[in-house]
Amino acid sequence: MSLKLDRRKALLVAERDFRDATGDLRLVLAMVGLAVLVPVLTGAGIRLLVAFGGGLSDLVERVSIVGAFFVVFLPASYSLVLALESFVGERERSTLEVLLSTPLREAEIYAGKVASVLAISLLLCFGGLVVYCAVTFAGLGYFPLGVLASLAVSTVCQVAAMVAGAVIVSANARTMRAANVMASFIILPMSIVLQVEAALILVGRGELLWGFALAMGVGAVILLRMGLAGFSREALLSRETGSANRLRRAWRVVAAAYRDAPSGMSMLRQRWAPIAISLAAFPIGAALGYLAAGAVPGGAIRPALDDMLTAGLGQDPLAFAVAIFLRHLLAIVLAGLFAGVTLGLTGYLLTGLPGALAGYAAAASAAGAVTGGFAPAAILDVFLAAVAGGLAINIGASVIHLRHEGGWFRRLVRAESELAKALLWIVPLLAVAALAEAYLGSRL
Amino acid sequence: MLVVEGLVKRYGDVVAVRDLSFGLEAGTAMVLLGQNGAGKTTALRCISGLLAPSAGRVTVGGIDSVDNPDAVRAQVGLVPEVPGLYERMPARAYLDYFGRVYGLEQSERASRIDRLLNLFDLEEAGDRWLGSFSKGMRQKVALIRATLHQPRLVLADEPTSALDPDSARIAWGYLEELRSGGAALIVCTHNMEEAEALAGRIGIMAGGRLLASGEMDDLVRASGLKRHRTVVERPTLEEIYMAVVGNRDELEARPA
Repeated sequence: MSLKLDRRKALLVAERDFRDATGDLRLVLAMVGLAVLVPVLTGAGIRLLVAFGGGLSDLVERVSIVGAFFVVFLPASYSLVLALESFVGERERSTLEVLLSTPLREAEIYAGKVASVLAISLLLCFGGLVVYCAVTFAGLGYFPLGVLASLAVSTVCQVAAMVAGAVIVSANARTMRAANVMASFIILPMSIVLQVEAALILVGRGELLWGFALAMGVGAVILLRMGLAGFSREALLSRETGSANRLRRAWRVVAAAYRDAPSGMSMLRQRWAPIAISLAAFPIGAALGYLAAGAVPGGAIRPALDDMLTAGLGQDPLAFAVAIFLRHLLAIVLAGLFAGVTLGLTGYLLTGLPGALAGYAAAASAAGAVTGGFAPAAILDVFLAAVAGGLAINIGASVIHLRHEGGWFRRLVRAESELAKALLWIVPLLAVAALAEAYLGSRL
Repeated sequence: MLVVEGLVKRYGDVVAVRDLSFGLEAGTAMVLLGQNGAGKTTALRCISGLLAPSAGRVTVGGIDSVDNPDAVRAQVGLVPEVPGLYERMPARAYLDYFGRVYGLEQSERASRIDRLLNLFDLEEAGDRWLGSFSKGMRQKVALIRATLHQPRLVLADEPTSALDPDSARIAWGYLEELRSGGAALIVCTHNMEEAEALAGRIGIMAGGRLLASGEMDDLVRASGLKRHRTVVERPTLEEIYMAVVGNRDELEARPA
């Protein structure tokens, strides 16, 4: 989709959506009522705590910040509802086709809808925060400016991330009911983030909210780009076609993806970039592990490391080889399975963690054991881990990569299929590497 | 004005429009007839730049709908089958919004809105919310919205299906006014009498194909009904339609 944007046109869409959302008096009363009433009651509760609890204590200070956190997040939850409704609601009311038939560009429609939801949500959030601050901190002699500033910034980022995610859901859902169900993928991670943030405030580490703000800001930018890239008239208006049997359709997609997935040298040529990135994670992990050896007390990790390195000594080499093989295979399979939900992070870990372990062991003066235990099979093992890791990174990339012509599910299944197809030759080579490690490693 | 060449539109495995080709000059009208699912709406969406053709080419005023869909949409006025109005907006504000979207100046918007609301007998309802409008009133507003920017090509899908005879007459009169003003019209309808009265040219679609196209006499020949009738008593469009759709297999087998 073209990112060219006439701001006046985008504002036109935003203005209409804003008026539409605020045109229902009952809805406005509910939103404003909660955004004002809750801060007033919460603030009054804090004042009572100060008045009858012996004045301003450390606990009261922290509770007052949690209260701010609470009153800010409550209106932020509206953003989810409004954003979910943005496209699928218009589709259900049959107004979407009319909007799309105008000369407005996709970027203008998308930006306008996101802007209107953000405007309403942030207006309510900061309105609530101002009311809360006025009720709670006026004349108290205490005003946690730093934490409140981080809270304000992290709220903007959180609302932006929620809105961007919900608009993606809305643009891709066929019905409002489906959009509500899919919203769980936003609500659940967000609720975990909020609980962690609240816990940090309670234990007096409110400054860490800046880190959350940064992470949420990055997440919001990624989601906004995903939404813009995947937004198209074509996808919004095209009908669900083909076989009514969804299982059969899904099976066809999986079978076609597996059939068309590249394998062998062709796959290595096509996926050289993520494989190289995964391979680079090994020396980076080793360097970090080496450096960490100085920071982490050796006594804590050394016994576990020694156990691992001496695990094969005195053991039947064949049984040891089977154990190594199964461990490596399990790591690759888990990396592939979780690549989607971790956005490819497991692909980096597949090489980075063994690298860190080797680096740590080398620094802990276990060089002989390291070379004996790792070196013989390392060349093959690291190569195989890099290939599997690269394919896992590719899976993660396919999750966040939307295209205006659609086909997200197809691309994800294809990326998974590439890993599944590669396992056909990775698994035998893993067995060879495990045998080499068990037989040659013990001799060295 | 409009050139459609070998237009094909696929949704997955389903081919909604197959090898559609025709042209339309400025100031002319064409009526598309066809059962539900014949591919009329998809064809209109492709022509209006809403959907990209899977194959083939559409140009409006010399502009390719794939190369520059925004410019094509600016020249087209689409009246969809469902009016699709924003219910929590007054009619006048709603029309003003779309006038702004199409880049009309304020004075131009105001004068056109006043004139068209008056023409369709909606001037008193102009400040009422669209949610309170009857089905017929909504259809009138949809027609005004789609033509407010004076498009060069008007695509209307069942524009009078919800209108009473009097309002329908006004709507057809308005469409005729646009046509005589130089706009090209494509109208999908199930009303054979209206189709016969409005268009010099009629196309009959089934299964995504344009089975027959031309003026009444051409269609009579294509239907094979003429030999059963005298010259004085020409078959009605409804009879022609039934004959053409009934002979679909035979017509599909003929070369284009």
